[in-house]
Amino acid sequence: MLSFSIATRFLRKSPMQSILIAAGIAIGIGVQVFLGSLITSLQTSLVDQTIGHSPQVIVQSATDGQAVTVTPALKQAFASQSQVTTAVPTRVFSAIYRKGKVSAPLQFTGGDLAQLDTIYDISGRMSAGTARLGSGDVLVGKDFAAKNGLKPGGTLPLVLPSGKAASLTIAGVFDFGSAAANSATAFVDGSYAAGVLGYGGDQYSAVDAQVSNVFDSKTVAAQLAADPAVKGLRVTEWQAQNNDLLSALKSQSSSSYMIQFFVLIAVALGIASTLAISAVQKTRQIGILKAMGMKDRQTGRIFLWQAVILGVSGAAVGVVLGLSLIAAFTFAGRNSAALFPIHPQVAFIVVSFVVGVLVAMLSSLIPSRRTTKLDPIEVIQGG
Amino acid sequence: MAEVLLAAEGLGKTYGTTVKTVALSDVSFELQAAEFAAVIGQSGSGKSTLLNLIGLLDTPTSGRIVINGHDTAAATRMRRAALRNDLIGFVFQFHYLLPEFSVLDNVLMPGRIAGVGVAKLKPRAEEVLTLLGLEGLESKGANDLSGGQKQRVAIARALMNRPALVLADEPTGNLDTENTKAVYELFRRINQELGTAFVIVTHDRAVAQQTDRILEVQDGRLLQDVRNAYLDPAPGDGHTRDETDGGGGEPGGVRAAAEPGGVRAAAAEAASPE
Repeated sequence: MLSFSIATRFLRKSPMQSILIAAGIAIGIGVQVFLGSLITSLQTSLVDQTIGHSPQVIVQSATDGQAVTVTPALKQAFASQSQVTTAVPTRVFSAIYRKGKVSAPLQFTGGDLAQLDTIYDISGRMSAGTARLGSGDVLVGKDFAAKNGLKPGGTLPLVLPSGKAASLTIAGVFDFGSAAANSATAFVDGSYAAGVLGYGGDQYSAVDAQVSNVFDSKTVAAQLAADPAVKGLRVTEWQAQNNDLLSALKSQSSSSYMIQFFVLIAVALGIASTLAISAVQKTRQIGILKAMGMKDRQTGRIFLWQAVILGVSGAAVGVVLGLSLIAAFTFAGRNSAALFPIHPQVAFIVVSFVVGVLVAMLSSLIPSRRTTKLDPIEVIQGG
Repeated sequence: MAEVLLAAEGLGKTYGTTVKTVALSDVSFELQAAEFAAVIGQSGSGKSTLLNLIGLLDTPTSGRIVINGHDTAAATRMRRAALRNDLIGFVFQFHYLLPEFSVLDNVLMPGRIAGVGVAKLKPRAEEVLTLLGLEGLESKGANDLSGGQKQRVAIARALMNRPALVLADEPTGNLDTENTKAVYELFRRINQELGTAFVIVTHDRAVAQQTDRILEVQDGRLLQDVRNAYLDPAPGDGHTRDETDGGGGEPGGVRAAAEPGGVRAAAAEAASPE
């Protein structure tokens, strides 16, 4: 531990220099933690907003409009996928809202409310009335209700695909936070939908599923498609339908990685140059230590230890700095609805910390090598 | 019969590859344990090169050095570092203390390099600091001392690992007359009390004449190797009395000859058998 103790003395002898290097590392890691958390949270928020409350994997008939018979084997096919968090059979039909001269198309999803909630969280996102899907009940979107002056307890006059007129009772109004969903979708109970579609008790339009990691939807879809019970049915997943979103996410990730990479490069160069200067400043001391019998490798380790000390303290301060930036960002936007929450991830912070220390250690290689190669005679003769 | 501490056999050192400068050529001598010797010569004569070679700080281009029975011809850098740490103490013209460390830490350093714990080393460090009259200065920074004190700390540090040999290169070059005298008296006392061999490089003939043996280097060659004797006043223009064969010769034979150093030589003799 002699190398370590010499390293601390060297650092303490020039405190300003040491603080500057540590500050450089701290800023680098702080930016890394903040930016990384920001981008990750932004993506999580985007993904969540886009597909968090919608089916990520859908199994339906290969022919449009045909029913899927939900057999126990099909249910089992979903159940055997550990990634599938929920699988809900739904019946989907379109109808036209018509009152006086006003008419508007509505897409109805019929199913069991408790089951639908596992995907759409309707109960958790009500803005008026009650979340209830009894016989003859309908739940409509906020924008649709506002536009047509509809309120819970009122009726919803419809023209069904068959051309027959029908009327449902508005039990409640939901707000999904999206204009498209709020103005054109509605939920009814499953047996009503079966009646409209003319389906039997085990016949559905589709089975909607969600997966634990949304980016695994491709794998899950492929595995489902390979299941004998799913044979002949069409399996689709969200990624294939959302190429634009995906490429936006990808380019966001890569630009974030680029920024983080260059920040780290800048940090590494800063540490390397400062440590190199320090190594030159300490040439005399290293020469004396070697004359006294200190081994080459031991002297090389002095600068490695300096880098470790600076790296650990700098990265620790950097993590605190990054978290403070996140807190400040969250605080500044506390009243803005447009802002998404930043969730700093422990694993990412640990990785950032370790990367900071490793970059510092890597930067010490040049001064370390220089020190290792130094011949004591160079110092003694130059004396 | 005194034991041979160091044997230099046909030492040569040439610098440069295209333009060759011969700094030292064919120097041979033996140094006994507890010997107190001086190397003199004009600047550029090769005396420091010789000291660096026998101090294992530099490697000879020809010849070899055997120290305490270890042939260093094929020794690795690591091995030479270990031998330096174990056997040799250095005192340079510039004290070369580590300014980042206190007096005590500087003195402890050779012991710590040897891998010994501070607690175990402390009594020894205090012992050498007392020997050099540096008590009470332990916690001072190396830069907070006077020139004479710094050089004494450097000497204390050189003695830390109980070296068999102390090599001093112009150790008083930066000191005033009073401190110079004090340092040589100290060297002599350590030589007598601890049986440590000394090789002191100096350009000061008066200083050299207070040692028991003088090796004079000129133009990279060993011009003369005399014991307990006067040197000719002008170097290189004649012969000295009692010139020996350059290979160490038989000590004692010339000891009785002349000079006030005779008494000290006898004392050194008495101290040497251990």
